[in-house]
Amino acid sequence: MSVQRFVEPQTVADAWRDLAEDPWGAKVIAGGTAVVLMMRQRLLAPSSLVSIRGIPALRGIATADGVVRIGATTTLSEVASSPEVRRHAPSVARACALVGNPRVRNAATLGGNLAEADYASDPPAALAAVGARCTIVGPDGQRTVPVAELITGFYETVLAPAELVESIELPAPAGERREVYLKYRSRSSEDRACVGVAARIDLDRGRVADADVVVGAVASTLQRAPEALAELRGRRLDAEAAGSVARAYAAAIEPMHDGRGSASYRRKMIQVFVRRALLQITDEAGGEDA
Amino acid sequence: MPDTVGTDFRHRDAERRVLGTLEFVLDHKVEGMVHAKAVRSPLPHARVVAVHTEDALAMPGVIAVLTGQDLTANPDIDPCFGKPRADQPVLAIDKVRYAGDPVAIVVAETEHQAWEALPYVDVEYDELPYVVDAVQAARPGAPVVHDDRPDNNVATWRLRHGDCDSAMAKADRVYSDTYYSPPASHVPMEPMVCVAQWSEGQLEVWTSAQAPHAVRQGLEKVFGLPAGHARVHTLNVGGGYGAKGQVKIEPMVGFASLAVGRPVRMELSRDEVFQTIGKHATTVELTTGVMNDGTFVARRMHVNYNAGAYAVTSVVGAGQGLTRANGPYAIPNVAIDTVATYTNTVPCGPFRGAMTSQLAFAYESQIDDIARDLQMDPLALRRKNLLRETDVYPTGETLHDLHYDELLDDLAAAIDWTAPPAPAEPGRARGKGLGIIIKNTLTPSRSEAVVRLEADGTLRIFSSSVEMGQGANPTLAQIAADRLGVPVDRVALGFPDTAVTPFDTTTSSSRTTFSMGAAISSAAEDLQARLTALADELHGLGGMQLNHDDGQVTPAGRPEVRIAWTDLLEKAGLTELEGHGVFQTDYGITLMDPLDVKGPVSVHWHQGAAAAEVEVDLETGKVDVLRMHASCYAGRVVSPLRVEQQNQGCAVFGLGPTLFEELHYQDGTLSNPNLSDYMIPSIVDVPATITSTALESDDPQAELHGVGEMALPAVSPAVSNAIFAATGARITTLPLTPERVLQAIEEASTARGRTELGAQR
Amino acid sequence: MTQLEEETPQLEAAFTLNGDAQVTSVRVDETLLEALRERAGITSVRGTCGIGVCGTCTVLLDGRPVSSCITLAAQVNGRQVTTAEGLAGADNQLSPVQEAFVRRGAYQCSFCIPAMTLAVHAALNDPEAGRDVGTVREYLAGNLCRCGTYPQILQAVTDLVSSAPDHDKDGENTR
Repeated sequence: MSVQRFVEPQTVADAWRDLAEDPWGAKVIAGGTAVVLMMRQRLLAPSSLVSIRGIPALRGIATADGVVRIGATTTLSEVASSPEVRRHAPSVARACALVGNPRVRNAATLGGNLAEADYASDPPAALAAVGARCTIVGPDGQRTVPVAELITGFYETVLAPAELVESIELPAPAGERREVYLKYRSRSSEDRACVGVAARIDLDRGRVADADVVVGAVASTLQRAPEALAELRGRRLDAEAAGSVARAYAAAIEPMHDGRGSASYRRKMIQVFVRRALLQITDEAGGEDA
Repeated sequence: MPDTVGTDFRHRDAERRVLGTLEFVLDHKVEGMVHAKAVRSPLPHARVVAVHTEDALAMPGVIAVLTGQDLTANPDIDPCFGKPRADQPVLAIDKVRYAGDPVAIVVAETEHQAWEALPYVDVEYDELPYVVDAVQAARPGAPVVHDDRPDNNVATWRLRHGDCDSAMAKADRVYSDTYYSPPASHVPMEPMVCVAQWSEGQLEVWTSAQAPHAVRQGLEKVFGLPAGHARVHTLNVGGGYGAKGQVKIEPMVGFASLAVGRPVRMELSRDEVFQTIGKHATTVELTTGVMNDGTFVARRMHVNYNAGAYAVTSVVGAGQGLTRANGPYAIPNVAIDTVATYTNTVPCGPFRGAMTSQLAFAYESQIDDIARDLQMDPLALRRKNLLRETDVYPTGETLHDLHYDELLDDLAAAIDWTAPPAPAEPGRARGKGLGIIIKNTLTPSRSEAVVRLEADGTLRIFSSSVEMGQGANPTLAQIAADRLGVPVDRVALGFPDTAVTPFDTTTSSSRTTFSMGAAISSAAEDLQARLTALADELHGLGGMQLNHDDGQVTPAGRPEVRIAWTDLLEKAGLTELEGHGVFQTDYGITLMDPLDVKGPVSVHWHQGAAAAEVEVDLETGKVDVLRMHASCYAGRVVSPLRVEQQNQGCAVFGLGPTLFEELHYQDGTLSNPNLSDYMIPSIVDVPATITSTALESDDPQAELHGVGEMALPAVSPAVSNAIFAATGARITTLPLTPERVLQAIEEASTARGRTELGAQR
Repeated sequence: MTQLEEETPQLEAAFTLNGDAQVTSVRVDETLLEALRERAGITSVRGTCGIGVCGTCTVLLDGRPVSSCITLAAQVNGRQVTTAEGLAGADNQLSPVQEAFVRRGAYQCSFCIPAMTLAVHAALNDPEAGRDVGTVREYLAGNLCRCGTYPQILQAVTDLVSSAPDHDKDGENTR
C-alpha cells in the first residue's frame, strides 16, 4: 500500500524514534534520488519515510586532528567542491564530481550513496582507496566500518535495518600521498562506469610505504588484490611496477558482464585502467581521464 | 516583395518554445477526463488464459478494467489495426506476441490511482516458445507469431536488373560480407500521449502523432465509423523520428473512453515507449562483383528486416528498403531481395533514415574494404561507380538531378580528405572515413492544402503537416508567402485538426517541404487565380495581364493601379476566399508486384553524405569522433538555419546507433528499456567540430528536397570507415562499441601478423 | 488537477515557486514533477525518463538544478523552486539565457529546451563552475536532446559567456 507518512526529525534520536514507530515499513530518505526512483519502479514500497536531511548533526564537512569528517547528508556536489576534501582527498572529490549528472549530485548525499551500495557508483572505490571509514549509528550505539567493508553485495551493506550512516571520515595521510580516480565509460559520456579505478600511494623518500588500488563497477562489491599491493611496498612506483600490479588485478578479479561490457572485456579494461591509474601517480605522470 | 525562401524566418512561437508555455499534447486537458494505464505482457509469447480484474477494480479510484474480451464483445469494433496488414489487436485477444503487448487497460480517476492498481490485474498465461532473431524466425520450425503466417513472413520484395549471376561469375573479384544492425529505439522526448473523448457517436482525440489523418482512418476502421467521424488533433509534437507515424495508443484510449463514457487520457512511461515501437534489427548479406579497375559489375543482396510482433509499416518498409539497397552506384546487374520477418519482439517502424541506415552500413563499409583490396582511394572508388545524370537505376527508371560528385567534393573539402590525419598520441590512432546514400521518398503519397484569404488580410494555411521541431510550420509559411508574394508575417498556420485541415499522408519520409510545399504553392496559385477573376469581374480589367504583389492586384504596365485583395473581398461581399491545392503521385512501389518491382518508385531521390574523423584508443577500443560533417542535396534551401539543424541533428542523432545504442533482449524481454541502460548522445558526445552543407541547384526553380534524414544513414559507415582507416579493424556489427573495436583491432593485427609471416617465407 | 478523490493521506507542501508562496496538498509519495504540473499548472517542467537522467524535468531548487521526477514534493518544504517560467521576468520578459536561445534558434521540438535553459542559467551562476563553454557543456551533459540541437545550444552558450561577464546580469530575473 502507498506511503502513509513523511516525517522530518531534527535529531538522530528523533529519527530512531520515527523509525521504531514503523519498524517494518519505515525507510530513511536523504536526497531521495535512489529512494524515490525505486518507489516509482515499485522496487520499494515503504509505509513511512523518515527524512534525515534536516538533521544538523548529519550535515557538513569539518576537519579535526587531520581527519576530514563528512556528514552523511552532505550532497555529492558539496563534497566535490569542498576545498577541504579537494586538498585532503582529491580523488574522492573527483569521484563525487563524476557521479551521474549535476542534478543528481545536487540532491544525492554521500551517506545515501554508500547506503545504496550501487555497484557501478564512483565514490565507494575512491573512499575505500584512501582508507575512509564510515561511522554508523543505531539504537545500540555507534560503530565504525571501513568503507572497503561496507558493501557486501548488489545493493547490500553491513547496515542493520535501524542503522544510519552518520558520517564518513577521511583519515590523515601518512607522508606524501598521491591518489587518482579514473572512470572508464564505454558508451555515452553520461554512462555509468564500465570500470572505475581508485589508486592511492603513500610515499616515504620516494618509495611506496603503503598503497591501495580499488576497482569498482566490475562486480557486486569493491575489488582489490592485496598480494599485488604488498609487492609494491618499498619499491619505486614505475611503469614496470604499474604493469605488474595491473596484470595481477586482471588475473585476480572475476568481473561481471552487463550492457557496458562483457566479463572478458572488463578484465582487459581492469588491466588497462589499473595501469593507467598507477602511471598517473608516478613521477612521470601524464594522461587524462578515460 | 523580397524572396522569403532562403531566409531564416523563425518559428513564430519561438519564445513560448523556450519558456515552456507552448502546448504539447502532454499538457492537454479536457474537462472531466480520467486516466488510463495499460497492463502489459511480461512474456514474449503466451496464450492469455484468463484476466482477473476484481482486485484491481476494488482499488481506490478505479473506474474500469478492460480486457480483450470487452473488446471482442462489442460487435461494432474491429479489434485489430494496422495497414495494410491489420494484425495488431488493440488489446491481446487470444495471445500476447511480445513482452510489452497490452493485455488490459485500467481506468481510474487519477493517473496515480491507475498506476497503483496495475499490479492488481492478475493475468494467467500459458507460455509459448518464442523467437527473437529474424534469421531464426524465418527458418522452418520456428515458433509462429501469427497463425496466418506460418513462415513468419511479413513481406517479400524482389528487384532484378540485368543478369546478376552471370555478371558475378565473370567479375574479377567477388566480395561477400554479412552485416548486422541491432534493434534500436527512437526515444522521442515526448512520450506517446493521447486524450480521447466521444460525443454523439463521434470520436475526438488529441495525440502526439506524425500522421493525423492516418490515425483518423485507423480509428474509424477500429470503431466502425464513417469517414470523418473520428477527429484527430495534433499539437507541437515533442519528437517523432518515425516513432509516431502510425496508429499507436489511440485505439486503446478511444476504447477506454467509449467504455467508461468519459474523456480518457493515457501517457506512456518511458519503458512503454521503448515497448511500443523500435528500429528494425537487420541482417544484410551483400555480395559485390568488381573488375580489377574498380568497376562494380554485379551486386546481390539479401536483407532480412526484423519486424517484431506486428507489421506496422514493415510491409511497405521492406519495399522501401528494396529500392534503397543498391546504393548510389551505377551497377548494371543487380539482384536484391528484402524480407520482413515476424518475431516476438517490439514492433518496428521507420526510424529516421528509415530502413536505409542498415543498408548503408553494409554497402558503404564493403566499398572501403574493396578499395583497400584494390589499393584504391575509397573516394576514388566511389567516384568511379557513382550514379550520374540519366543513369538507369535497377528499378528501370532513369535518374535525374543527381549530385553525388558535388557531395563527394564537399566531403573531401570538409574533412581535408587528401591530408593525412594529425598524428595521435602514442597508443591512439586517427583516421577519416566517409559514406554516401540514396533514398527514395514515400511514393505514392498525397498532400492537400487550403490557403484562405480572410477579410482582415490574414492568409491562413490549412495543412495537416505536423510541426515536430523540424520547422514544418515556418517552412511552409515561407513557401506560401513566397508564392503569394506577401510578407511571411501575414501568413498564419496552426496545428492539424482533421476536421479542418485537409488530407495529408504523413509527416515523414522527408516529404513535407516538397509535397506539402507543392500543395500549398498550388493552393496559393489557385487563390491568386480566383483573385484575378474577381478583379477582372469587379473592375472590368478584361484582357489585361494582372500581377499580384504584396496583397494587391496590379495590371501589367499600370503600376499606379493597385487593388488590395481585401478590397476585392469586400466589394464582392465575401468574408473569405479559398484556394485549394493538391499534390499527388499516382505511381510508386505499393502499386507494383512486390516480386517484380519495375518502374519509377520515387518522385525524386534524396542524396545524403557524411564524413568523420576519429581517434581510437588502441588499448580500450574507445572511439572519439573528432569531427563530423553532414551533407545533402537540398535543391533549394528554404531556411539555412533549419537545414543546418537537420543536417547536424542527423550527425548527432546518428552517432547514437553508430557508437552505443542497442536494445538488449534477455529471455525474450527487453532488458534495457530506460535511458540509463539505453544511452542516447549527450552534448559531450558531440564532436568538437561539427559542420554541414546543403547543396543547392543553380536552377531557381529546382525542386525542394526534404533534409530531415538525408545524412543520417551515412553516419555509421563514415565512422566505421574512419576506424578502419585508423586501425585496419573492420566491424560488421553495430554499434561500434569499444569492445567490438578492440576485438577487431586484435583480429586485424593477428591477420597482419600472418600476412607478414607469409611474406617472409 | 480536476479529479483528486485521493485515498492516500496528504500533507501540505509549502514552498516558494518562482518567487510566489505556494501551499499545496500533496500525496506523501507525490513527486515534485507531479505537483508542479498537476497542481501548480506549470508546463515547462516535463517528465519523460522517470529516473532523473534525461533532464527534461529540471527545476532549480534553491538555485541548483535537480530532477523533479525523483524529488518528492514533501522534500521541498520551505525551499525555493524555480522553473523556466520563473527565469523570465514579469510579462514573460525573457532572461538573457532564454533570449540567447531564441536568437540562435536553439530549439527543435523544444521538449527539452526550458530545462536546458535552466541548466545553462545554473551553470553560469555557479561560482564553482568556470564561465566558459567547456564548463557549461559539462554541466549540460545530463540534459538530453534527441533532435540533436546541441550545436545551436552551444552557439547560444558561446554568445552568453562572451557577451556577459557578470553573473548578476543573468541572474537578475531569478527570484
